[in-house]
Amino acid sequence: MLQTDPKTAHFPVDPNRLDLVEEFRRAPKGPYSPDLQKIVHRMRWGGEGGRFVLIPVEPGKKWMLGLLPSRRGDAVKTFSDKTFTRLADAEWAVFKIRWEAITGVRIAEETDQKP
Amino acid sequence: MIDTTSILGYAKPWSVAPGETVSFHLSSAHLPSASLKVVRVRCADPDPNGPGLKLLHAATPLDDGDVQLSSQPTHVGSYASVADGPILSGLTAFSVGCYIYPTIVGGCRQTIVSRWNDRLDSGWKLELDDEGHLSMTVACKGMTRSARSSRSILRREWIFVAGSRSADGTIRLEAVSLSRDGGRERVFSVEDEGFPAVQWPAATPLLFAAQWTGDSRPNKETFNHFNGKIDRPRLYGAALTRADVQQLVETLHPVQTDPLLVGAWDFSLGMNGDEITDLSANNLNGSVHRLPMRAATGANWTGQIHSWTEDPSQYGAIHFHEDDLEDAGWAATTTLSIPDDWQSGFYALQMTTSNGSVPVESYAIFFVRPPRGRRTSDIAVIAPTATYLAYANNHSRLDQTHFEVMADGLMIITADDVYTNEHRELGSSTYDTHSDDSGVCYSTGARPILNARPRSNTFNYVNDTHLLDWLEEMGHGYDVVTDEDMHREGARLLSGYRVVINMTHPEYYSKEMLDALETYQNGGGRHMYLGGNGFYWRVAFHPTKTGIIELRRGLTGLRSWETEAGEGNLSFTGEPSGLWRSSGRAPQRLCGVGFSAQVFDFSTYYRRLPDSFDDRASFVFEGVGADEPIGNFGLRLGGAAGLEIDRAEPNLGSAPNIMILATADRTGAGGIPAPEELPALYRGFTGEENAMVRADMVLYPTSNGGAVFSTGSIAWCCSLSHAGYANNVSQITGNVLNRFLDDSPI
Repeated sequence: MLQTDPKTAHFPVDPNRLDLVEEFRRAPKGPYSPDLQKIVHRMRWGGEGGRFVLIPVEPGKKWMLGLLPSRRGDAVKTFSDKTFTRLADAEWAVFKIRWEAITGVRIAEETDQKP
Repeated sequence: MIDTTSILGYAKPWSVAPGETVSFHLSSAHLPSASLKVVRVRCADPDPNGPGLKLLHAATPLDDGDVQLSSQPTHVGSYASVADGPILSGLTAFSVGCYIYPTIVGGCRQTIVSRWNDRLDSGWKLELDDEGHLSMTVACKGMTRSARSSRSILRREWIFVAGSRSADGTIRLEAVSLSRDGGRERVFSVEDEGFPAVQWPAATPLLFAAQWTGDSRPNKETFNHFNGKIDRPRLYGAALTRADVQQLVETLHPVQTDPLLVGAWDFSLGMNGDEITDLSANNLNGSVHRLPMRAATGANWTGQIHSWTEDPSQYGAIHFHEDDLEDAGWAATTTLSIPDDWQSGFYALQMTTSNGSVPVESYAIFFVRPPRGRRTSDIAVIAPTATYLAYANNHSRLDQTHFEVMADGLMIITADDVYTNEHRELGSSTYDTHSDDSGVCYSTGARPILNARPRSNTFNYVNDTHLLDWLEEMGHGYDVVTDEDMHREGARLLSGYRVVINMTHPEYYSKEMLDALETYQNGGGRHMYLGGNGFYWRVAFHPTKTGIIELRRGLTGLRSWETEAGEGNLSFTGEPSGLWRSSGRAPQRLCGVGFSAQVFDFSTYYRRLPDSFDDRASFVFEGVGADEPIGNFGLRLGGAAGLEIDRAEPNLGSAPNIMILATADRTGAGGIPAPEELPALYRGFTGEENAMVRADMVLYPTSNGGAVFSTGSIAWCCSLSHAGYANNVSQITGNVLNRFLDDSPI
């Protein structure tokens, strides 16, 4: 059976590398430096903090955040109060959740400013 | 936000000619009525950055007034049935036995064999209970007795199972695992005193892999479906010892004239149809329902052969699934006779109403082909309906976890995906696995398909309509023929067209379809392949039923699941499935290029190569500069070369006289080669470092003045409308099409 195991993504994430957080904040859609690329791969492979997705509200203009279920067939959770008009903003929002899920460290407010 | 799921429907059949009738099968769980309108689809993509939705109203009698809707249930789960008769209803002392290979153990009740009426709570059944224990149960007049195994059995291990009831009422359960090594041994012999007298329910079918509810359609008829394989079931009119039942199951040819042999079913017979054959003298033949997987290896499969056609007796198993579906079975809500003057094209029934303040807009697609036996244009566009079926209601982005890293960005799913995720009764795609993790190898069009219709997600159907939009924008008429038309009618369907065009992703091809295209080429046809990852998987349509394909993914290729060992051949035809490359017909042989890589993070552009300056190819680049990047724009990730891309390869059959006009070989780290491209695993293989990952644009002449032009990229057609259609992708496509329409030899 062919399966992708989300738990196998194991590139170590150093909570002190705030320079990489800042790099992502500045350019959420990349291109990324090699270290940041590997962290992003881990986040997107493993989905730690949640397998988030976007659902179009207006095609090509506005998207809503959604969360895929951990068990097949369970409902997709949607967040009607979390909408984005730029895909980069959505990436940054999810990056912050995952950074905290992996490192246990919340991204400080001063870093959390609009890209 | 538009509600696209409160009304659902499908059309039967998908392909109709003028004068023929299409029926529409609609359902809504809570809306009482809807307005219906037929539209001809020019562009199905609502993205305002492109041409936008272009749906052209086609007047029909359906325009007059609303249609009443009802909620129509969809029941899933395959099983086999044998009609009732005195020999079954009068069976008080008996043995039932078979081999099983369960693919789900525990968590749900699963019936192996039963003659049971659940409304009366009466009958007998051999089952796997929700803790994975085997049990033989007898119930009658409010009394229920079971003989149950002391342990659960193992998932994905063959085991012989048998149940019996003797004349004094004693119930026995027997089981012996086929493999005894490595802790796999399971041996059970369990007895219960039962009760002495039974009176079975009347008019109750014998079922394999399910229990009867006691109800009939449109209500649910069966439940407690079995997941896994059942091989060589036998029913005998006396309580036998374990050894005797096992002997009866083991033998491929039970003594037919034994008067106590009630039934001995050989599932290896009639593999491509619905019948199951009883070898006993009673002819208790029956039928399978909802497309369980046939041509499955049995407990006696040796591993020495890999095709059921070599020795069907080693393929006497059927793999049943609780989520199999052949036809949603919804009653027709309305029908439409296609007017004689309708032009060929992509069509859809549009259903609209409102759900409170939210507008409801839903579609059921169909295709109008030209009148039978004639063409109405010089151009034929092949609607890749086999591919639409293969991807129908694809759950893989929801169920599998690698798509976000593949795209190197958040996945965008649609409200339709959210709906199908929770409504698995609408059936799966061939990218999915069943609930037991086995691959889905059949797909049917007789159900709502939410990812092949206007406004659906941007792959296949929606992308393909960008080509239709461009053809119409450029003033070209065209006929549409579907894959299934081509499969059933062959090369004669394409004969006479000056140009035949494949759309963005004609990935699934039957032998008949490939033969038709190759014959068309050899006869001097002009063939434009404007897609990527085409002609990749070998499939077949059902031999007698319309709108059903079969695929076995094999053991190589970009496969979302693997064929189980020995099960690589199609039950419909016996052909080997898997990659066409594995059958000696790599895509490069047909169209010069074949699958190279996936690139789902960003798309790139082509640059011209020396062959593009050859006099024979000059027509392609009229109006295009020598150093001009080709397609550095587009709706799919910003370029014309992306998503899935193809390359030329002489070793795989690219023509010796091929001209490689342009290449897109700077695909970046997200350009990952197909697994069959690599002899080993090593660094440096992504598009960032390696030009093996690339899309090639090719041109070559064929016999009798024919020619082939290929672009090798799914994204190509989604760049056609850029800058008001004034761009070099549009220019090149137009140059080639106009030249190909010209009769003079290439």
